[in-house]
Amino acid sequence: MGKEVSESCVESLLTEIVSSYGTRFYANKPDLAARRIEAIGYQVGHQLSERYTMERPRFSDHLEAIKFICKDFWSELFKKQIDNLKTNHRGTFVLQDNRFRWLSHMSIDPSPENSGSTQDPSAVAENKAAEAASMHLYFPCGIIRGALSNLGIPCAVSADISNLPACEFLSFSALN
Amino acid sequence: MAPVAPRSGDVIFASVERVNAELFTLTYGAIVRQLITDLEEVEEVNKQLDQMGYNIGIRLIDEFLAKSNVSRCVDFKETAEVIAKVGFKMFLGVTASVTNWDAEGTCCSLILEDNPLVDFVELPDTCQGLYYCNILSGVVRGALEMVSMKTEVTWLRDMLRGDDAFELQVKLLKQVPEEYPYKDDE
Amino acid sequence: MIVCVAVVGHQNNPLYIQSFTEADDALKLHHIVHCSLDVVDERVNNPRKSGPTLNDTFLGLLYPTENYKVYGYLTNTKVKFILVTTDLDVRDADVRNFFRRFHSAYVDAVSNPFHVPGKKITSRTFAERVSTIVKSFGLSSAG
Repeated sequence: MGKEVSESCVESLLTEIVSSYGTRFYANKPDLAARRIEAIGYQVGHQLSERYTMERPRFSDHLEAIKFICKDFWSELFKKQIDNLKTNHRGTFVLQDNRFRWLSHMSIDPSPENSGSTQDPSAVAENKAAEAASMHLYFPCGIIRGALSNLGIPCAVSADISNLPACEFLSFSALN
Repeated sequence: MAPVAPRSGDVIFASVERVNAELFTLTYGAIVRQLITDLEEVEEVNKQLDQMGYNIGIRLIDEFLAKSNVSRCVDFKETAEVIAKVGFKMFLGVTASVTNWDAEGTCCSLILEDNPLVDFVELPDTCQGLYYCNILSGVVRGALEMVSMKTEVTWLRDMLRGDDAFELQVKLLKQVPEEYPYKDDE
Repeated sequence: MIVCVAVVGHQNNPLYIQSFTEADDALKLHHIVHCSLDVVDERVNNPRKSGPTLNDTFLGLLYPTENYKVYGYLTNTKVKFILVTTDLDVRDADVRNFFRRFHSAYVDAVSNPFHVPGKKITSRTFAERVSTIVKSFGLSSAG
């Protein structure tokens, strides 16, 4: 068993990344904040892929590499595998986690803001919650992109949480 | 009803959800790296790390109090021991030691030899003045503030700068007795 | 004895190269490392039936020169490790063991948050570990 820390250490860091970049450094520039958060994830994914592929033979193709991400890599991070993997066989992969750990454990408080709009308050609140949740997803998207990139699959990764508590990570690759 | 005995750091750590330390180590490293890129000034990075630590500390204290069954410490000496043996252990998986008490019992050092934050880290020469682990000083300060102890926390030794251990000096500035930081309606 | 070890990135960019011999041999050794990269590419793209399996990270003996034996290793992240030795009687197990330890040291070096992927490894710890691994190459374990 390797060295461990409590999960709350990692979750605390994630909350602080989102809080610092989302509400302090780039308060009114969510795109910039998102890019920075994703970049932090990218470095982590890059380094973890190096470590977690160390003891194993090379992957024969992209599909094998993606499967590794879905199984061994995901297990190292979240103690479970990706529940469902879909592909269009043209470079797009969808990794579905039915209960993504980092979403289910966090209490995502929508940041207080005076909306001043005539929108239905519950819809506004829902939007804010979705916004806050998506800020938390840039980091894991970055991890996936960093890992795949290091395994020879440059791609763009985004997340879809229209079916909470499930989370789908979409990887778009120009190469096949 | 008999009071529940306080739990040891080992017992609590064994009972909480744990993750691979490298996820934590690399995430923290990437944060520091990104902060340096974005903020440029090392002093500013130190400040932000401390602020982030403070924000984490004021929340972690809840989990700490809930899981450790530690009764409210009125004594700073006792508090320091508990942080070192229980606090550090249940979160970071390592214990610290407490030394260098002053005569009044209001200032001491927390010594860490094993520190998961710094695994694999080698500071480049361009980062003179960076307190890489500064998040820890903020966490300690924040957590103590929530139990009514206002402190000043500074680094005396840093292994990334060539010292043989991490030494965090904790100086008690003010202790407000009998004050509950938690409101009943929360 | 091992005279040279190298780490080369996936764009054949040198990430680390260290000679363990006199200075004038260094240039020759760098050249040997450079030539071996083509052999690695060829070996990976055209696997021989009798050689190591296609996906094995250890590529085996790349080519013998008059005075040296050159071994290669390719990671999943497309990083190449090259080992040049003057030993004539080299055991397969020793080379595999070398690369395993070397790989571990490499992974730790790139786990430094200040390491820039694609740029040279400047870690002092890495250099020390490599030196230790090189020194203990071929030594059989104590009974």
